[in-house]
Amino acid sequence: MEGRARVTIWLGRHILPHEADLRAWLKQSFANAGDVDDIIQETYCRLAALTQIDHIEHPRSYFFQAARSVALEQLRRARVVRIETVSEMESLNLILDDPSAERVVSGRRELERVRGLIAALPDRCRRIIEMRKIEGLPQREIARRLGVTENIVENESVRGLRAILAAITEQDAPARAKRPRVSSDGRSRKRR
Amino acid sequence: MVDRESAADIDAAAARWVVRADRDGDDPGFQAELEAWLAADRRRSGAYARAQAGWKHLDRSSVLAPTVSGGSRLRRRSIIAGLGAMAAGVTAAVVVPRLLVRRYGTTLGEIRRVPMADGSVAAINTDSEVEVSLRPRLRAVRLARGEAWFEVAKDPVRPFVVESGPVRVRAVGTAFSVRRREGGSDVLVTEGVVEVWTRDGGAPPRRVSAGERVFAENDAGVLTPPKADADLGRQLAWRDGQIVLDGQTLAEAAAEFNRYNDRKIEVADARLADKRFVGWFRINDPEGFAQAAASTFHGQITQREDAIILRTASGS
Repeated sequence: MEGRARVTIWLGRHILPHEADLRAWLKQSFANAGDVDDIIQETYCRLAALTQIDHIEHPRSYFFQAARSVALEQLRRARVVRIETVSEMESLNLILDDPSAERVVSGRRELERVRGLIAALPDRCRRIIEMRKIEGLPQREIARRLGVTENIVENESVRGLRAILAAITEQDAPARAKRPRVSSDGRSRKRR
Repeated sequence: MVDRESAADIDAAAARWVVRADRDGDDPGFQAELEAWLAADRRRSGAYARAQAGWKHLDRSSVLAPTVSGGSRLRRRSIIAGLGAMAAGVTAAVVVPRLLVRRYGTTLGEIRRVPMADGSVAAINTDSEVEVSLRPRLRAVRLARGEAWFEVAKDPVRPFVVESGPVRVRAVGTAFSVRRREGGSDVLVTEGVVEVWTRDGGAPPRRVSAGERVFAENDAGVLTPPKADADLGRQLAWRDGQIVLDGQTLAEAAAEFNRYNDRKIEVADARLADKRFVGWFRINDPEGFAQAAASTFHGQITQREDAIILRTASGS
């Protein structure tokens, strides 16, 4: 398979599921480093530039280390005096010492989780994501079947993708997305 | 001074670009637009990669497609009908169809279900590569590597031919799998009849019927007759992400798991390797298999980063 496509799949399977932990750690360790979102985006930018991933045995550690170096660079740039160095390194080691975390992403449970996330979407949104990702139908055909414009299909797809990304990484989706809150175990609690 | 774009806005825009790329990805105009957007801020490339990973990740949900959870789901028949209608729509609009060759690849441990535009469905096994080109008079599929199972939609005027090295398998409306191996290809037929032949060979095609299998040698001179096999369902359990063992040796079972996982199972002594085992496992759970085998045969397991080693327990 082509290198870029492999990296994308690898990011989805082995990196994305650790983002929630990474965010929590960044917040606690780099309170001064600026926006955690910026660090995350910059980290993905670096990971996406990888051409080889076969040498990465522990994606979770790799992800944390990459984010750490981004955060440190931002601190240097901002000329912030750091006093949290020791505790940050200790907590990183603690987090990375947990051997079960690396395997979190493998197995049937993870497949079921993806399913659960789709199932928890609002009805029309869920239907569209299912048609697109499970049944493999093109956008135009989905629009025809549901009797809506392609624009709506596109909007609902974007909405679904954002809700699912937020759920995988356990973040609150922006309020304007108006979706049921998807909790980490895949069940939904409808907000009314 | 212009306000710095917020991370949330970038994430939102990235999600839209990813969805659009899924539809217009091949369009050069779109590509240029996307690249211009990405180039303006490094954070955008990161957000785009992240959204793309999430979008792609959702494809995993199709692995176990026949048992989709959730309310309304389409049966395959209606998908076929829908795609047929779509194809008709395209013709009616007098759009000249491009000769499309689509390539589908899977990485180690990945299994993909791919619905084709003619209503056929392919399930592509681990570490495989398949090219599909749907021509007006021929549905040509090239198995470059690995294994795939096909459920072929009936179309008498458009035969469905799988090319696996020099081996050819032709079907009209049927279901079968092809796996490339050293020296030839395994063909398993679960429905209907297929014809199997070898390129450049003088021999007439061999007919293989439902419930039969044949190993087609790459060397056209060798003819192995098809034989009945009551065990095809077990051998195709990978379509549902399973490995089913029914009296296979531990060595055979280990080889099967090793097709799907980076972490290889090694059966370290011959006595154990010949033991026969029955069980039902997930393809990505070699640990579960090793533990079950060890507890059945008084074995012990040594876990290494890259391997699970199974040997007879000392003292037994």
